[in-house]
Amino acid sequence: MAASPENRGWIRRLWSWIWTPAVAFSSGFLIIAGFLAGILFWGGFHWTLELTNTEEFCTSCHTMETNLGEYRETIHYNNHSGVRAICSDCHVPHEWNHKIKAKIMAVKDVYHELAGTISTPEKYEAHRLSMASAVWKKMKASNSRECRNCHNFDYMDFTLQETRAASEHQRAIDNNMTCIDCHQGIAHSLPSDYLETYQKVTEALDSKTPGAAHQQVAENGEQIRSFLTTRTDQ
Amino acid sequence: MLELLGTIGGNALGLPGILGLALGMMTRRLWLGAAMGALIGVIETLLFAGWQIAHVEALELMIAVVVGICAGSLGCLIRRIGATA
Ligand code: HEC
Ligand code: HEC
Ligand code: HEC
Ligand code: HEC
Repeated sequence: MAASPENRGWIRRLWSWIWTPAVAFSSGFLIIAGFLAGILFWGGFHWTLELTNTEEFCTSCHTMETNLGEYRETIHYNNHSGVRAICSDCHVPHEWNHKIKAKIMAVKDVYHELAGTISTPEKYEAHRLSMASAVWKKMKASNSRECRNCHNFDYMDFTLQETRAASEHQRAIDNNMTCIDCHQGIAHSLPSDYLETYQKVTEALDSKTPGAAHQQVAENGEQIRSFLTTRTDQ
Repeated sequence: MLELLGTIGGNALGLPGILGLALGMMTRRLWLGAAMGALIGVIETLLFAGWQIAHVEALELMIAVVVGICAGSLGCLIRRIGATA
């Protein structure tokens, strides 16, 4: 570190400045300053991250508006209790590490937006099943973690539910099933052949984690959906 | 691939990365820094799996440990370069 300062490039001077003990500042000053800088930085980081969780942000890409329209017809947009689930409630985890992971993986959204993968309604429909499968895969693997941020079997009063809902939910608990096994299409339209694809997705997951295998798909998906749709339309 | 990058990022900005770095900065012994980082990796994975070994995914555990080791070693290097004592 004894080379004369004039000969060094600015990167090297910066480098040695960083690692030379501070003369003008006490340790306390540096610690407090670093602590404050840390708070400001982390607060800003977190705030920015939260901005990317708003409905406005998601739908700032016109490709996401198809889903917006479909979702606006459903109970999670308007309901009698006035609690709304927005895009990020179902699609972005709360837990820090899963959330960062989801945000990093979403960089591919930007790429596909630029590449125009789903830029027209026709392309969207052609691609819907594969996108839906990606979501199912995540939800199945996480035991529908995002749904369970709001709903929980433990909090459900089965005596207040429709008989069929209560008995199906009991069956779900007994068979270790998860929300998405029966409630596909809870917020968006489904292509007609979705059940086969869903089955494939879960089978692929099951073969990776043996022991979890069960017949884990609703036997009467169509009925559930038509029942729920008629109820929302009231 | 995306899955992998995402997991690494989540760990780097999470406990293994940040606490690992901080713990690493507390020692000059590289192996100790790395070991503490690795331990944080294990703890974090267990924490998020609800302390149930059965729920731990091997790949996630591995990534968390590797990120922890890197962060712990980096912290240790920072200590070596940046502290006179
Ligand atoms: C840059 C524009 C853009 C923004 C902003 C955006 N998306 Fe997307 N999104 C896309 C594109 C394009 C695709 C298709 C990507 C593909 O084919 O994998 C997509 C796919 C998806 C998928 C299905 C595929 C998967 O891997 O899960 C979901 C779910 C999704 N977006 C949710 C969201 C949510 C929630 C937000 C807000 C947090 C959001 N998107 C913001 C452009 C965007
Ligand atoms: C932000 C919290 C939140 C999240 C996340 C959430 N929900 Fe809901 N859900 C609600 C609310 C609020 C209602 C409406 C309750 C009411 O007023 O009847 C509801 C209603 C429902 C209903 C009843 C539909 C009907 O017509 O009666 C189902 C089924 C449902 N949710 C499933 C899910 C599934 C599956 C997920 C995960 C993909 C999920 N929810 C995620 C808050 C949430
Ligand atoms: C085994 C299939 C199955 C699983 C798994 C399942 N449900 Fe349901 N759920 C149903 C059926 C069937 C209904 C009622 C529809 C009917 O009566 O036709 C229902 C209805 C509901 C309702 C409306 C209840 C009411 O009476 O208003 C909510 C809310 C709900 N489910 C949430 C969930 C959540 C959250 C999960 C995951 C923790 C889940 N369900 C898992 C089958 C299932
Ligand atoms: C109640 C939970 C819920 C909400 C709220 C929600 N989604 Fe979804 N989303 C799902 C589920 C579940 C799937 C998986 C496919 C399915 O079952 O319909 C999905 C699938 C998708 C897909 C894949 C393509 C498709 O149509 O299946 C995109 C893109 C998407 N969502 C975007 C959004 C956007 C944008 C919003 C906000 C306007 C939003 N979602 C709000 C639960 C939700």
